[in-house]
Amino acid sequence: MKRINPAVKFVCLLVLTFVLAFRHQPIINFAFFALCVVGILSSGTGVKKLLILLSPILLAAVGMFFTGYRFSAGGGMPVNTGTMILTSSHVWNGLIHASRVLAFAGGGYLYCLTTDRVLMIRSFQRQFHLPQIFAYGLLAAWGVFPHMMQEYRRTRAAFRARGKNPFPVSPAFLKPLLVKSVRWSEALAVAMESKGFDGHEKRSEFEPVRVHWFDWLFCAVCAALCVVMLIAF
Amino acid sequence: MNKWKLKDVILMAILGVAFAAIYLAVFYGGMAISTALTPLGLSAFGFELIYGVWFMAATLAAYIIRKPGVALVTEILASVIELLMGNSGGLTVVLTGFIQGLGAEVVFACFRYKKWNLLSMSLAGMLSAVFIFCYELYYLSYYLLAPSMLAAQLAVRFVSAIVFSGIICKLAGDALAKTGVVKSYAIGSAVKAGKVYDDED
Repeated sequence: MKRINPAVKFVCLLVLTFVLAFRHQPIINFAFFALCVVGILSSGTGVKKLLILLSPILLAAVGMFFTGYRFSAGGGMPVNTGTMILTSSHVWNGLIHASRVLAFAGGGYLYCLTTDRVLMIRSFQRQFHLPQIFAYGLLAAWGVFPHMMQEYRRTRAAFRARGKNPFPVSPAFLKPLLVKSVRWSEALAVAMESKGFDGHEKRSEFEPVRVHWFDWLFCAVCAALCVVMLIAF
Repeated sequence: MNKWKLKDVILMAILGVAFAAIYLAVFYGGMAISTALTPLGLSAFGFELIYGVWFMAATLAAYIIRKPGVALVTEILASVIELLMGNSGGLTVVLTGFIQGLGAEVVFACFRYKKWNLLSMSLAGMLSAVFIFCYELYYLSYYLLAPSMLAAQLAVRFVSAIVFSGIICKLAGDALAKTGVVKSYAIGSAVKAGKVYDDED
């Protein structure tokens, strides 16, 4: 999964997600979630890390199950014949909502855990024709992120040293972070423009991100999965 | 595209990063509320209460830069960064970013990008809420829930939008303007700020 072109992978998984949203079959959702978990684990992500990442999603799924179970719509809702049968069961309705949370999150984690961030932006620039100025902006912001986290920890430590312990998303932490962010953005823009990265001039790439045969193969597999999802059950 | 300056785009992206980090932190808060409400079947309200946080990047960036398209682009950039950080909402986060940003952008466009106050910012958040709610009716199958439940969810989302993207963003924008760091942006020209101190000062 890690070798697949990020733009191609994005489109394929997005289409699969929309096909899932179109269907109201918990079995398909659970099967897709299971496929995603297999894909993530086979790409080298540890079981423990995955469980930590998925634990809030599992909680959300349980929550949505009870919401769907207790607050089912009546028979007059705009749903098709097949769906009308499904909504007659509160448990089934709960399962639809719970399985959707898992399936959508599974697709999201499959993408982000198997994709290099910088390569993704470069791929979006090449394959989706993302304007250069936005690609630079995203890359710059992504580069600043570790500094922001460090600044946050520093501010928090400063408050602790004074015997204060504000709420983690308190304005006391966020205001200095926002001020620093604005200043970094200006400094970065000046630095990048001075090096010729002004976002408007056309620049060549040392190693363009290309679409390979195995990307097309992945597309074909996803297309087959879409067909199976649409005709199954 | 030539109207965009690199400085504007980087500010939008960095605000996107800051808010994407806040979104992730708030997500766990929402999960805690959501879990507490699960036995009542009201877990969806855990996120409705804080939904306005997801509209903040667009309104704050638009309030600072005050150019057409800023709200929409910032929300999209923030959603791409959310995706990079490992978002639990799935790949459609970029699409939801577009929809939310479009809601805010429509309101600012209706005011012809001339009204930058609590009303315009609150309305921007509220229209973002309406847009994304319409999308979720289909995407999350919310139409399978009882209409009274949906009305209550939307009402709570409106309140959240007003509080976070209206009141808090206005206060944050004004506070930033007073520090003087945004004096080179449109918001800075309207506020008299003191000297900006460097780390070395």
